[in-house]
Amino acid sequence: MHRLSPSSRFILGYILGFITFAITTIILYLLRGVLDTPLIALLFLLPVGINTAFWGLGPGILTAFSAFLGFNYFFIQPYYTLTVHHSRDLIVLIVFLIVAVVISQLVARAQAGLASATAREREATKLYELSTSLAGVQDDQAIVRIVAAEAIQTFKAERVEVTVTPAEAQKWQLILPVDAAPLTRKPEWTIPLQTARGILGEIRLWRGESTPTLEPIEERLLRTFASQGAMALERAWLTQTETRAKVLEESDHLKSALLSSVSHELRSPLATIKASITSLRSGNVQWKSSAREDLLATVDDETDHLNRLVGNLLDMSRIESGALKPQRQWNLLAEIIGGVISRIRKATEQHQLDLDVPEDLPLVPVDYVQMEQVFDNLISNSLKYAPPNTTIHISARKQNDTTLGVTVRNQGPPVPQEHLDRIFDKFYRVTAADRVTGTGLGLSICKGIIEAHGGRIWAENLPDGFAFNFTLPLNLDGAPPPTLPVESETI
Amino acid sequence: MSTSPHILVIDDEPQILRAMRTILTEKKFQVTVANRGEEGLTLAAANPPDLVILDLGLPDIDGFEVCARLREWTQIPIIVLSVRDSERDKVAALDKGADDYLTKPFGIEELLARVRVALRHSAQLQGGKETVIKAGELIIDLPRHVIKRGSAEVKLTATEFKLLAYLAANTGRVLTHQSILIHVWGPADADHTEYLRVYMRQLRRKLEVDPERPQYILTEPGVGYRFMADE
Repeated sequence: MHRLSPSSRFILGYILGFITFAITTIILYLLRGVLDTPLIALLFLLPVGINTAFWGLGPGILTAFSAFLGFNYFFIQPYYTLTVHHSRDLIVLIVFLIVAVVISQLVARAQAGLASATAREREATKLYELSTSLAGVQDDQAIVRIVAAEAIQTFKAERVEVTVTPAEAQKWQLILPVDAAPLTRKPEWTIPLQTARGILGEIRLWRGESTPTLEPIEERLLRTFASQGAMALERAWLTQTETRAKVLEESDHLKSALLSSVSHELRSPLATIKASITSLRSGNVQWKSSAREDLLATVDDETDHLNRLVGNLLDMSRIESGALKPQRQWNLLAEIIGGVISRIRKATEQHQLDLDVPEDLPLVPVDYVQMEQVFDNLISNSLKYAPPNTTIHISARKQNDTTLGVTVRNQGPPVPQEHLDRIFDKFYRVTAADRVTGTGLGLSICKGIIEAHGGRIWAENLPDGFAFNFTLPLNLDGAPPPTLPVESETI
Repeated sequence: MSTSPHILVIDDEPQILRAMRTILTEKKFQVTVANRGEEGLTLAAANPPDLVILDLGLPDIDGFEVCARLREWTQIPIIVLSVRDSERDKVAALDKGADDYLTKPFGIEELLARVRVALRHSAQLQGGKETVIKAGELIIDLPRHVIKRGSAEVKLTATEFKLLAYLAANTGRVLTHQSILIHVWGPADADHTEYLRVYMRQLRRKLEVDPERPQYILTEPGVGYRFMADE
């Protein structure tokens, strides 16, 4: 029934109302001998009530008058005339007419009340659905999509366009259905997305050729949709602004953490250097040559340390600003690791290094200098935490045709499970900062470099130690590692 | 050399100039200093030095240009000073005609070693080349194509020999990837650093005592290789 247009529904109401009346009349006519007149009058009220309930006041009143006439014609003597002999019957007839009309009006009013209650409930449900779907949505695109989808569904619209005009950005539009061709006619409804702060955009709705109008309730609902959408948009924008402010605050916070870490870290080697140099320069003390040598070696070490710190800071700022672009070329991992080990030989004196890189490991597409940095940092970290006279294993294996896996394993203490992911964060330390030297940047630099290479890095506790693992892709721009032709020895 | 070598230091930092002047004078070099590129070029033209130590970051004209302009008229060795993480700069300076580089901060022993190598190399360019190079237990006899490790002869492939010959002829000097590739494989293969990686590994296996920790063929990260022999 819902698909009928109001006018055909109107006509159908009268026709069906009349049919109901006719059927009642036929049945009562057949039972005329059995039933007495007041009972028949009472039974004639049935179609009046039913028709009003189903078809509204018009058909109800029509039925009331038809029943009045039918009752008079078929059931009041003399039969088959509209004349009335007995004054008693006349009273029955008049009372019948009054009762019938009153009933139809009462039923119609109840019906209308029910209909508006249903409509209000529908509206409330729609609004509830809309606000539920909008709750917690922070993305303005998603908000607009929800509002548009709800509008197109609720109002059975042909097309909905939502235009958003943010204060500080380009205006943009969302159209539903997505693949609909533009319509030539103007939209039937244009509702602004308005909040207390101003207009954020508008909803344009094409209802469709057949039912271009909106009931007052529907119009109100559409306006409520618009204001709900506008409020959600405003909330999302405010949250975004707040998030930006928070990010800025956080980066400020990081910067001050960096500064305090840096000044602490820079000052300790400087303090050592200053103390050593001033001791050597003071004329009061006659230094033994071994003590002199010791002090000078300290100065040398500390300047190297300072140099590393500055290098780490530079690398970190490069990673943060996205300027760390690896120059990937085909390299041999063994050569890179060998170079690092030779360079830090002095620092590794108290540990054994065990290198396990197979001869037939393919060439890997990496930035030589950056990979040196990764191995340097991972080995240095292991040296720092693993007790003396333990072994640090470095192994590399081809995991499959596209991935290489590398492990730097030491016999150091385990790291609590909850710290495992966070040790790659900037300035993150498992132990108190004053017990271990470094910037707290080494591992996050490793992470930055490995990720820039398209790999992954993680740490794990082992039954007898601790391990850093990372992967590296074996393809460079889709090409597999090259192999070189073997040459025979002629010389 | 009858007189002590003359070194021109071009750097804009007064502390570095002061330290270099003190240290190099102590080591019996004649030292001239300049804190601007143009000034350095003028000084070099007025009184040609035996060697130039050049900082790449100068306030007026950059170090690359100083290199290029020196190379227009002289082959005196140039050692450039640069900071860490500027491998491209180092390679660019070497391509512009610099002979070697040092990364700041550097130890003075390192600097003196580079200076000695550069001076010897330029002397060789004027005189004759050494043809038999000794490095540890290695003996490389270039004209006779014979390489010995102790008393045992080392068999090399044709490419390995070309590679070693080029390295050994430039003992102590840094050679960029490109220059090695062009000399040994030809200009068409100038970008194939993987050839270098693989052949260097083969050479090291045949020549080095511990190929994982080489003493003769050293990798200069991001720049190239350097062959170290007895001084």
